[in-house]
Amino acid sequence: MRRSLSLLFRLLRIQIRSQLQYPTSFILEVIGNTVVMGSFFVVFALTLSRFENIGGWTLGEVAFIWGITEFSFGMMDMVFSGFDYDAFGPMVRKGQFDQLLLRPVNITLQVLGSRFVLRNLGKIMEGLIIFLYGLSQIEAHWTVFKVLYIPILSISQVLFFGSLFIIGATTTFWTMERLEILNIFTYGGSEIMSYPMHIFPRAIRLVFTFLVPAIFLSYFPTVFILGKTDPLNAPEFTAFLAPFVGIAMLLIALRFWRFGVRNYQSTGS
Amino acid sequence: MTAGQLDQSNMIKFNFVHLILSRHQKTLMNAFFATIRISFRRQLTYRAANLSGLATNLMFGFFRASVLIALYQEETSINGLSIQGAITYAGLTQALIGFLSFFHWYEMMHTVYDGQIGSDLLKPLNFFLYWLGVDTGRALGSFLIRSLPLFLVFTCFYDIVLPQSLLQWGAFILSMILAHLISFAWRFMVNLAAFWTPNALGIGRFAFGLSWIFSGFFMPLALFPEWLAEICQVTPFGATVYIPIQVFLGAGSGESLLNYLLIQVFWVVTLVLLDHLILARGVRKLVIQGG
Repeated sequence: MRRSLSLLFRLLRIQIRSQLQYPTSFILEVIGNTVVMGSFFVVFALTLSRFENIGGWTLGEVAFIWGITEFSFGMMDMVFSGFDYDAFGPMVRKGQFDQLLLRPVNITLQVLGSRFVLRNLGKIMEGLIIFLYGLSQIEAHWTVFKVLYIPILSISQVLFFGSLFIIGATTTFWTMERLEILNIFTYGGSEIMSYPMHIFPRAIRLVFTFLVPAIFLSYFPTVFILGKTDPLNAPEFTAFLAPFVGIAMLLIALRFWRFGVRNYQSTGS
Repeated sequence: MTAGQLDQSNMIKFNFVHLILSRHQKTLMNAFFATIRISFRRQLTYRAANLSGLATNLMFGFFRASVLIALYQEETSINGLSIQGAITYAGLTQALIGFLSFFHWYEMMHTVYDGQIGSDLLKPLNFFLYWLGVDTGRALGSFLIRSLPLFLVFTCFYDIVLPQSLLQWGAFILSMILAHLISFAWRFMVNLAAFWTPNALGIGRFAFGLSWIFSGFFMPLALFPEWLAEICQVTPFGATVYIPIQVFLGAGSGESLLNYLLIQVFWVVTLVLLDHLILARGVRKLVIQGG
């Protein structure tokens, strides 16, 4: 275990060092990333100013949930870069995955250490800024539990999105190509988690409750933290399921991943 | 008409074509259309990928429409944009993603890095025209297999706005062709950065990210504050996405319709000229690696 971890950190260190080879270019890219990603929120905020609220939520309240989601997704996109199915597909196709299989080290660990996209710091920063802006705008009844629950929520989201990436990467064992349709759940998931989810049609909400349980990681907890009334009338305990959903998703995803690795047949190229 | 007359009229036509195009130019034109055809067929080959992209865009169309509906609530019209118009807007933007490929195109850049560009530059067909051909084929394929079905499905779910007259349909098609040209010229320019820097990918991500906002893809420009909407409208990004949709929704009639099209023509001419200038400079300093 300790050997594996030190190996993982070593792999990541190499990744980071290589990406910092051109520091100016790197910094510019991070700033660019922050600006571009942030402008989506700015545009939304400017639009919202015409309407006052969306589904009964103010700009500050949306910023709160939007910020956490962006932050978590950025974190996940960095930590789980190796499982990003956009990059993992070509890796399988070109036979680079076979090389990893030949090494006497845990395969999951190797894939995790195979890529670490540091420029996601831009998205992480952007999420943090929006979140802090949201915090400054809202008036919630803060309790110790609520304050502690925010980082737990964010970590749960990281696990949630990470699980989707792992599942996405696993499917490429069979398809060899990335499946764009998975974007509905990853990027689409992060998009609808950024809004108060009761504004979406029932069919979409059901998909994101029972198939991909995104609603437990954003809407229900936020309703609880901000003390909003929930037009969906969900029972109160749904607000506290986030960490369990995150961990359960990860376990399922890892199981699927191991199944995929076991049944993997090389392309032979 | 007698056989003789027919023969004569054919001859006149032939001479006429012969007058504007030399034999060499005609060969090039044929090559250009062949490039389009091949690229079109290649696009149609990826059936699963197209279908999966279609589903994704459709879902995002539903997301955006839901957000707009939630924003409008009881309002029926904001700044001239009705709620039906806004919903149509959400569907159209998603339908156009594949056709315009406005936010993700690094094909030409890759050929600079892997050395393929060496043989592409040697082709008798002008380098710009070659890529225009490739991209036009891709756009047509995408339109047929992705944009059109997506919009048709989208209309089954929502009450939408359609062009009211033949003139408006015509203007929309013209506007779409111009949008494709602007989109291509812009993406070509972004890719040209690869002639100068080994990290053009980063520049591309930034440039395409900006166009995502300014084009009105994320939110209809009509909902932006006035000053911002006005800036966006005159950028090549607004001219690519916003203007064709405005024409479709019938926001511009008569004079403003003409204005819209003129803005687009302006950007086509400007960007194509710039592309040629930058390309001419780039080719002179290009060092082809690999092989």
